[in-house]
Amino acid sequence: MFMQSPIQQMLGCQILGLLKSRFFFSLLFIFSITVVQADSLSASPEEIELGRRIYLEGVLASGEPLKAVRQNTVQLEGASAACEACHRRSGMGSLEGNIPVPPISGRFLYAPIEDRVLALVDTRQAKDLTRAHVPYDEKSLAKAIRDGMHVSGREMSILMPHYALTDKEIKAVSAYLSQLSVSLSPGVGDDSVHFSTIITPDVDPKKSAVMIDMLRHAFEQRNSSQQTYSGRMRMPLDLIPRKLRNWDLSVWELKGAPDTWGVQLAEFNKKDPVFAVVSGISASTWNPIDQFCQQEKLPCLLPNVISPPENPSYYSLYFSRGVVLEAEVLAGYLTDKEKKAPHRVVQIYRDNEVGMNASRAFTKALAGSEVIVENHVLLGTKQDDLKVAMKGVSSKDSVMLWLNSSDLAVFNKFMAKQVPQNVFVSGYLTSENYSFNSKALNPHLRVVYPYELGDKRKKNVTAMKEWLKSWRLPLVDEPFQTEVFFDALFLTDLTSQMLDNLYRDYLIERAEDMLSLGSNVSAYPHLSLSRGQRFASKGAYIARIGDDGKLVADSAYIVP
Amino acid sequence: MNTFKQNFCMSSKSWLLIVVTILGLAFSNWSWAESAQFERSEDNYKIPDVNVVRQDGYKSAFVKELDDGRPVLLNFVFVSCSAICPMLSHVFSKVQEKLTKEGQKFHLMTISIDPENDTPASLTEYAKKFAAGENWSFYTGTREASLTLQKAFKAYRGDKMNHASLILMRSIPGKSWVRLEGFVSPDEVVREFNALGANK
Ligand code: HEC
Repeated sequence: MFMQSPIQQMLGCQILGLLKSRFFFSLLFIFSITVVQADSLSASPEEIELGRRIYLEGVLASGEPLKAVRQNTVQLEGASAACEACHRRSGMGSLEGNIPVPPISGRFLYAPIEDRVLALVDTRQAKDLTRAHVPYDEKSLAKAIRDGMHVSGREMSILMPHYALTDKEIKAVSAYLSQLSVSLSPGVGDDSVHFSTIITPDVDPKKSAVMIDMLRHAFEQRNSSQQTYSGRMRMPLDLIPRKLRNWDLSVWELKGAPDTWGVQLAEFNKKDPVFAVVSGISASTWNPIDQFCQQEKLPCLLPNVISPPENPSYYSLYFSRGVVLEAEVLAGYLTDKEKKAPHRVVQIYRDNEVGMNASRAFTKALAGSEVIVENHVLLGTKQDDLKVAMKGVSSKDSVMLWLNSSDLAVFNKFMAKQVPQNVFVSGYLTSENYSFNSKALNPHLRVVYPYELGDKRKKNVTAMKEWLKSWRLPLVDEPFQTEVFFDALFLTDLTSQMLDNLYRDYLIERAEDMLSLGSNVSAYPHLSLSRGQRFASKGAYIARIGDDGKLVADSAYIVP
Repeated sequence: MNTFKQNFCMSSKSWLLIVVTILGLAFSNWSWAESAQFERSEDNYKIPDVNVVRQDGYKSAFVKELDDGRPVLLNFVFVSCSAICPMLSHVFSKVQEKLTKEGQKFHLMTISIDPENDTPASLTEYAKKFAAGENWSFYTGTREASLTLQKAFKAYRGDKMNHASLILMRSIPGKSWVRLEGFVSPDEVVREFNALGANK
């Protein structure tokens, strides 16, 4: 087979020459339309389902795993042989290293050259667009799948495996591809794209107002400059033609108990379907929203939450694992072999989801170590309540206080006389407000801090500060606002790279691949995702408050 | 080297190449695809002083792992990379099988380029998937350590998504490294390894 390939390549060359004639083109055009129509007409739901299982799961009609070979030696099987592993869920392909995996959804495989849609193959090189090819039909698709032969007669990269699929299975894959990513996702109109952001009822209205204000200004800026396609014209990417679509933002404000949020969200989305949820904010749970996003297959991008679900759904991306990450970082710090571990740590938390998740994670992370963890729940808001929670804690102890700054203010008054040896607090829960600190407490106080420190942080957040100034927006909570700013910027980048291929699955795939490639304008040290990864920032520092009131790292960056 | 770039209309030079390849095929069992898809070079690298963590949690200086007496084959992957990395790891898996059968001394070293995600536990699981034995180790560590190593071996491409398909090998400390970039078959790797003359 390999011996033939140069000759086949030469034949391909002649066919290409033929293609240059218009006559042949139009013949082909008519032919291909017939093929596409015949394909979609004859496909039964069973056939599509069979194709879906081969494509997504790597399972054959018989229930046997899909098998493939590469280089005649390496066997692939099951999920690692599934087309999805490379061509992705949306069928829009991917790029790893310098090897592009082309889009193979029906619009790309079967469309006549005149009607072909464009996709960006390499977002780092805007000129690298999907190439025109003669439309595939079932026969040439079979050759591609079985022999790695491109429709042009070229032998394809050995990255594309060879599959011994039957005619029936090829037909099923073809049927699946024909209906994959054909119509634009809900929320995408001819000249508009709808987005929403979500606010849970527990959030301080002042804080949510800051978020909404920032997002609205970012959208306005993007819309008023989108004539240059992406809103800017700094890169060749901005010159690729695409439809102009105005963005608008709905604010989905939830009311009542979390178990009613799902219904409210469904109503919002029915009335005004959105392409994606951008940012969002909660001070308590986010689980019902995560579930809703999965149910609607709706991308929910990077909300400001401190206790995200432990196992997020496919469609939700988060900045970090929140307080659970902090718990594991602190456990790692306390059990570091180079330091003397404390005999016991008392953790004090509130009886809510954030407190429960944090304390549970901390206990779990220290299970099996020599450190004993004692749990004390804080009920009520008075000094006496604290007295109860602090019972038995001496100046020799270490304490982890999963409390916010107003709880901590009460704590400090109470603690003035006998401060425990080590007092740890959560960076997420205190959110940059250390007004509870005092001279007596400060030498003992350590913050588990998920953001960057020092000059690097200053540098990363400069862009946002300047942007806020230019719109006369207030700076009230730097890490929080950088999250919102990052979201807006990331969304414009993502969507401009998608050109007109506005599919929700593709948005998630792009986000997974591209998050670490954009500039980090957030307060986090670095952000990165990949296939299946749902938390972008993966570590934290242990920091203390310096003489100038600023945080200084007291540990290396710890990734549990 | 531009075999992935679409270049189907051939020049006379390519024709010569085809003739040579066909001749070559007549005399060996090389396949056409195999012989054209990678680039070989030799280089010397300054090994940086960084610490790494092996998949079993063992912490050590990278040079100590590198210079443990066994000839080394090295690559870079990350666990959640689904197109290229499984292929690189399959190649290492086959190389392990072949060299073990030949009774050779060797050390396969796989370095994670997504170390914050690829914990020792997830590398252990990954190693199992590719049937890694005692002569194949996986390394993670801090992000800085991984970046430093990638840069030292000229494997750094700015981001994990840009990562290179690369195999490096060296017989003993002080000898130069053989660098294979592109798609290399297990047989090719073994051939190159034997040419190092490490186990003679
Ligand atoms: C390990 C990665 C991988 C897997 C798995 C994979 N492909 Fe591919 N595929 C590729 C690459 C890379 C190319 C581009 C090769 C080239 O152009 O040289 C490709 C190209 C193709 C093409 C040609 C597209 C075009 O634009 O001409 C088709 C059709 C295709 N693949 C179908 C499939 C199907 C169907 C499956 C599953 C049964 C599959 N592929 C699984 C990597 C993969």
